[in-house]
Amino acid sequence: MRSIWAVARNTIRQALRMKIAAAFIVLLIILIPVMGLGVTGDGTIKGKLQSFITYSLGLVSLLLSLLTIIVATYSLADDIKQRRIYMVLTKPIRRFELLIGKLLGVILLDLLLLVPLSAVIYGITRYIPVHNNVTAQQMQTLENEFFTARASIKPPEPDVTAEVLQLYERLKEERQLPEGVSYREIIRNLTQLKKLEKQAAGPGTELRWQFDNIRITDPNQSLFIRYKYDVSVNPPDLNIQSAWLVGDLRQLPMIPEGPGSIYPFKRRDLIRTFHELKVPAYAVASDGHLEVAFLNLPTNNTVVIFEPGEGLELLYKTESYTTNFIKAAIMIFLRLVFLACIGIFAATFLSFPVAILLCLAVFCTAAISGFILESFDYLSPDVGTIYKFTVALIIQMIPRLDRYNPSAYLVPARLIGWSLLAKMAALLVCLQSFVILLFSLLIFKFKEIAKITI
Amino acid sequence: MNQNKEYAVETFSLTKVFCDLWGRTKVYAVNDLNLRVRYNEVFGLLGPNGSGKTTTLKVLLGLLHPTKGKSLVLGGDATDPKISARIGFLPEESYLYRYLTARETLDFYGRLFSLPGQVRKARIEALLEMVGLKAVANRQVGTFSKGMARRIGLAQALINDPDLLILDEPTTGLDPIGTRQIKDLILELAKRGKTVLLCSHLLADVEDICDRISILYGGSIQAEGQVKQLLQQSNKTQITSQTLSDRTVENIRKLIEAEHADFEVTSPMEKLETFFIRTVTEAQAGAVPTSGAVSTTMIGDFLAAEAAQKSILDKLVSADVSDKSVPIIKTEKPTEVETPAVEPDKELLGRLASGPQLSQPVETSEPTETKETDTRKVRDDVLEQLTGSQDKPEKQDQTDADQAEVPDA
Repeated sequence: MRSIWAVARNTIRQALRMKIAAAFIVLLIILIPVMGLGVTGDGTIKGKLQSFITYSLGLVSLLLSLLTIIVATYSLADDIKQRRIYMVLTKPIRRFELLIGKLLGVILLDLLLLVPLSAVIYGITRYIPVHNNVTAQQMQTLENEFFTARASIKPPEPDVTAEVLQLYERLKEERQLPEGVSYREIIRNLTQLKKLEKQAAGPGTELRWQFDNIRITDPNQSLFIRYKYDVSVNPPDLNIQSAWLVGDLRQLPMIPEGPGSIYPFKRRDLIRTFHELKVPAYAVASDGHLEVAFLNLPTNNTVVIFEPGEGLELLYKTESYTTNFIKAAIMIFLRLVFLACIGIFAATFLSFPVAILLCLAVFCTAAISGFILESFDYLSPDVGTIYKFTVALIIQMIPRLDRYNPSAYLVPARLIGWSLLAKMAALLVCLQSFVILLFSLLIFKFKEIAKITI
Repeated sequence: MNQNKEYAVETFSLTKVFCDLWGRTKVYAVNDLNLRVRYNEVFGLLGPNGSGKTTTLKVLLGLLHPTKGKSLVLGGDATDPKISARIGFLPEESYLYRYLTARETLDFYGRLFSLPGQVRKARIEALLEMVGLKAVANRQVGTFSKGMARRIGLAQALINDPDLLILDEPTTGLDPIGTRQIKDLILELAKRGKTVLLCSHLLADVEDICDRISILYGGSIQAEGQVKQLLQQSNKTQITSQTLSDRTVENIRKLIEAEHADFEVTSPMEKLETFFIRTVTEAQAGAVPTSGAVSTTMIGDFLAAEAAQKSILDKLVSADVSDKSVPIIKTEKPTEVETPAVEPDKELLGRLASGPQLSQPVETSEPTETKETDTRKVRDDVLEQLTGSQDKPEKQDQTDADQAEVPDA
C-alpha cells in the first residue's frame, strides 16, 4: 500500500514539474476569468451566464482530458523507455501496484486541478449578476431559470407499432412500397412519420399532453414548459401565434382557485428556437396530475410540429444550483478517470507517441460516437451491415462521452439526476475503466520489461 | 536469514535467447548457465562486452524472462516483494527521475521499501553523507554528472540495508576515489555477512574484492573459482621489506644464485590510484571549492554496523555510531608505503604473456593476498591470459582479450 502511494506521489510530482502541465494550468487560470468578463451571449445576463458556463466548463473538461492523457501515457511509457522502471520494479513492489500507483497519481492530480478550477467557475457564475448590477426582478428570473436544477418530464412517446404495421400492410396491398428499400428501413420511416403525426397540429387544431407524478416541494415555485416549434411551411414572419391552457384540464370548464387551477396563455413565438412558458405551481393537481393543451391558431395557416423527444417538456425545480454544479464537476471527473485508465493501458504496450495517438483517437471518437453510430443508419444496407459488425462494434465499446456533457445540463438549468450520475459511474468507471485496467494489468504482468541488449 | 539454503543465487541451466522479428533464434545471450553464489561471499561475474553478464542479472531480477531454465535468488523469486525487499540493485547505468532532487530520489526508493519515516530519513542522510552528495542533496539529479548519478544509484541500492547486493559494473563513471570507496564498501559489507554479486569487465576492481569469480563468454561460464587459487603463481616467491643496504642486497643475491634462480631488484612504484587519492585528499584538506561530488571516508552507519550488534533501527537512533564507520583511504595506505621490489617491465610482461614459467622475481613468501598491490600488474596479466587461453576455441574472444590487454599493460 505504501509503495502504491509512493508511486502516486511521484507521478503527481512528475506532472507538476513537467512544463506541459504548468502550461495547461496557467492557460486555465488566465482564460477562465477572462471569459467571465468577456462573453456576452445573447446580450441578456442569463445568456451571458449560459455562454460562460458552456465555454469555461468545456475548456476545463477539454484541457484536463488532454492533460490526463498526456500524463498517464507519458508517466509509464517514459519510465519504460528511459529504463527507470528497472530500478522501480526490482524494489518490493508488484507490477500491478506500480500501475495502480500511476493511475492513482493521475486521478489525484485531476482532482487537485478540477476542484479549484470548478470552484473558480462557480464563483464567477455567482459573481456575474453582482458585477452587472441586476435588479431584484432580474435576479428572481435568474434564480428560476439559471441558478436552479430543474427536473424534466417528457410526455410519454405514443405507441404507434400497430398503426405502422397496418399502414405497411395497406401500402403493400396498394403496391406503393418504394423499391430497393429494406423492410426495416420502411418500418423505421413509417414509425417516424406516425410519431410526427401524433405531435403535429394543423391550423385551428389542438394537441394535448398529460403529465403525472409531479412532486411540488414549494407551492410558490414555478413550472416551466419548454418547447420548440417545427412547421411544415414557414409563416411569413417566422412566428407562430398560439393559445395554451395549463392545469388540471379534467376539471374543465370549472376553474377554481387552488391546486389544479387552469392558466390560459396567449403567445407569439419564433419557430425552431426553444421557449419557456412559466406556470405557477398551483397548476398541478393535488394528485400530481398536469395537462397541457396547445391550440394552433388558424391564422398561422401551417402545421405546427413538436418534434418527438425534444419538442416539449416540463421542467420544475427540484434541487439547488450548487448541488447540480457539483454533479457537473463529478461528471467531468468520471470522464477523466476513464481517460486515465485508457492512457495507462496504452502505455503498457505502446511507446509514448503511439500511445498518445491511440488515446486521442479514443477520446475524439467517444466525443462524437453518438453521431458516428447514427450516421451508419444512413448507409446502404449492405455496407451498413459490414460496418455494423466491425467499426460499430468497436465504437460501442467506447463510452459515449457526448451523452455526458455537463453544459447540456447546466445551461438549461436541468437537473443532473443521481441515477444518471450513478449510471455514468457504473458504466464508465466500474465497467469500462475496470475492464481496461484489467487488460493493462494482464499485459503488464507478462511484459518483458528490459530491452534486448547484447 | 534464509541461510538454510546453501546458495544466495543459484541458476539451473539458465538460457536466454533473443529472437528477431520473425521468431528466428538470433543470439544466445545466456547459454545453459549454472551459476552458484554462496551466502556471504563477494562474487564477480567477468567477461568481455556482450558476454551475457547484464542479461544474466536481468533474468535473475525478473526484468527478462528466461527462455529455459530457472533461477533462485535468496531461495525464491526475485519479483516476490519478500525477496526483493532484501536485494539492492544497481543497474549498468543510473536511471533516475531527472526532476527529483537527490534527497527526493532516495526518499522515493525508501518509500518503495516501505521504510518507516524516521528510519528512512536517517538512512537518507547517512547515505548522502557516504556518497558525498550531501552538499548537492537539493539539486535535481538531471543536472548531475554521470559519476554523481552513479553515486545516487549506489545510495538507492543500499537504502534497504540489503542482504544481497547486485551491482552491474558499479565503478563505471566514478572517479578513482569513488571506485576505491565502492570497493571498500563492498569489502565492509562482506565482512558484515552480506552477499555481493557484481559484474564488471574492470579486472583490477574485481581482483581486489572478489572471493570467487566466473568468467563468462558467449553466455556460458569459461572459468570459475577462487581468485586466490586462479591467480596464485606457485612457482614464484616474493620478498617485501624496507629499503635495504647494497650489501644486504648483495648477500641476498648470493643466496639466491646458490639456488640457481634469476632475480631482479627495483624500487617499488606507487600505484596511480593511490597517488591520485592522496593528491585529492590533500586538496580537500586545503578546502579547495568544488561543485561536484565530495569524497568522504564515511560508510553509512547502518551499513558499517557489525552484524552481531544491535538492530539497525537502534543504531540509527543512537548518534555515536558514526565512530564505527570505516575510514576508506586509510585501508590501503600502509599497504604500499612499505612495498618494495617488483615492478615488472615491459619485457617481463611480454615474457609473462608468452609463458609464465620464465619470470622469476625474488622469493621467500608466496605472493598471495597479504600484499596485494605490488603484484597486481603481474596478476592482471595472468588474469587476461587466463581469459584468453580459456576462450581459445572461440576465435572472437581471442581478439577481445588481446584488445583488452593493450590498455592494461
